[in-house]
Amino acid sequence: MANILIVEDDKDLNAAYKVILESEKHKVKVAFNGQEALNILKDYTPDLILLDLLMPIMGGLELLEKYELKDHSKVKVLIFTNMENSPEVTKAYNLGATRCIIKSWTAPQNLSKVVNDTLKANNGQLSLN
Amino acid sequence: MSYGLEGQRALAEVLFNSIGDGAVTTDEFGRITRINPTAIEILGYTEEETIGMWFPKLFIAYDEDGRAIPLIDRPITRSFVAGSIISERVHYKTKDGNLVPMAITVSPIMVKDQPVGCIEIFRDITKEYEIDKMKSDFISLASHQLRTPLSAIKTYSHMLIDGFMGPINRSQLKALKTIISASNRMNETISTLLNITRIESGSVAVAKKPVTITDLVDEIAAEYKLASIDKDIKLKIIKPKNKIKIISDAVVLKEIIGNLVSNAIKYTNSGGTVTIETKSKGTQVIVSVADTGVGIPENSKDSVFTKFFRAENVVKQETSGTGLGLFLAKGLIKELGGEVWFDSEENKGSTFYVSLPMLPQIIKSKAVNK
Repeated sequence: MANILIVEDDKDLNAAYKVILESEKHKVKVAFNGQEALNILKDYTPDLILLDLLMPIMGGLELLEKYELKDHSKVKVLIFTNMENSPEVTKAYNLGATRCIIKSWTAPQNLSKVVNDTLKANNGQLSLN
Repeated sequence: MSYGLEGQRALAEVLFNSIGDGAVTTDEFGRITRINPTAIEILGYTEEETIGMWFPKLFIAYDEDGRAIPLIDRPITRSFVAGSIISERVHYKTKDGNLVPMAITVSPIMVKDQPVGCIEIFRDITKEYEIDKMKSDFISLASHQLRTPLSAIKTYSHMLIDGFMGPINRSQLKALKTIISASNRMNETISTLLNITRIESGSVAVAKKPVTITDLVDEIAAEYKLASIDKDIKLKIIKPKNKIKIISDAVVLKEIIGNLVSNAIKYTNSGGTVTIETKSKGTQVIVSVADTGVGIPENSKDSVFTKFFRAENVVKQETSGTGLGLFLAKGLIKELGGEVWFDSEENKGSTFYVSLPMLPQIIKSKAVNK
């Protein structure tokens, strides 16, 4: 079980990811844009941020710039986007994202697997609650 | 009209100085030996500030995010080591600190088959770069907007199947699987069309990083394992004992090799074999995908890599296909500095080859460092 912050502007997808991840016993918080996520992250450190890139108000890249992952080395960032093979994905990696997955290729059972694999990629530093 | 040796030299000097693009030559150690007036104008340095300086130190190549490209990956190093002409886009910093996008072509100067220096020609492409960026931004946005509804369709269909909203009956399950299958097809089409648009507009995003090609091939084979089992096709992997690492883009490579494997399975009948082999050959790594399928008719071979190509013998079959996969593979491999080609005999099978430049160990010792 891990603490996960979902940052996704599409309400339907946000709700679906929450249901799927909670069914895997993860503790989930949700935000609908980068600004909301930043507010949550002020006093909450998740194990993983499931992050969309293109969102209104503040997108995923801007969130990554402002959150400064280097100061939060234990937080894994799983980019969940539909911008396949794009410069934005490259930028996300450069800003410290752990992994990038194309949303429309990913079935719910794979979402859980990808999340769990990304959490495990933490070199044993994952804080299990 | 004939010139003496001095005249020839003077003419060469005039010609060099008359080139409308920036031009810089170096000796075999990478020290600048000549720079023409256009290069001086673009970069803002005086001739005195450049002659004798080490090119990679004075003119550091940056990527579009403003990060310095490692010396080993810079076009001038690669051109010198591989002895080949390299054309690329990089950014150079002018004397006043501005990063300027440049289209560069760097060629080794060969004397008796030995590189004795390099000549680099470059052009300021700020305007083209801005237009390309707009195109690329549009493609990314279109991709996102087309896919978002598809993601919701697929996610909720899967959730229904997985029982998140309660039990479903057999015919509901069948209907949901049809929805998912159709969504996947639409997704593939969006991917293909977007990639083609990117190739044609020259805006393929290639992020080169170390890639263990032997592992990547294993991953691709694992993804197609189910499809091969479904068709009763044996999927064989042949690879060397040692892992092969290259500098490339794993996502783009996966698309290219995946396309070849998908085709091989699609056009091979049950009981056949698809063999994926990875090997190194000189400075190249070669991945081949061989099948025992329908093969390509002689009269279609010249068109294999053209857009919408589908050979007559496969059109008659029921296999689906857009005829864009190989066109896409050809376009993408070019972006990675590789090549794709094939051998084929109708009714016996086809072998498609992908070659990619390997990172030669020699590059480390030869990289100029003075």
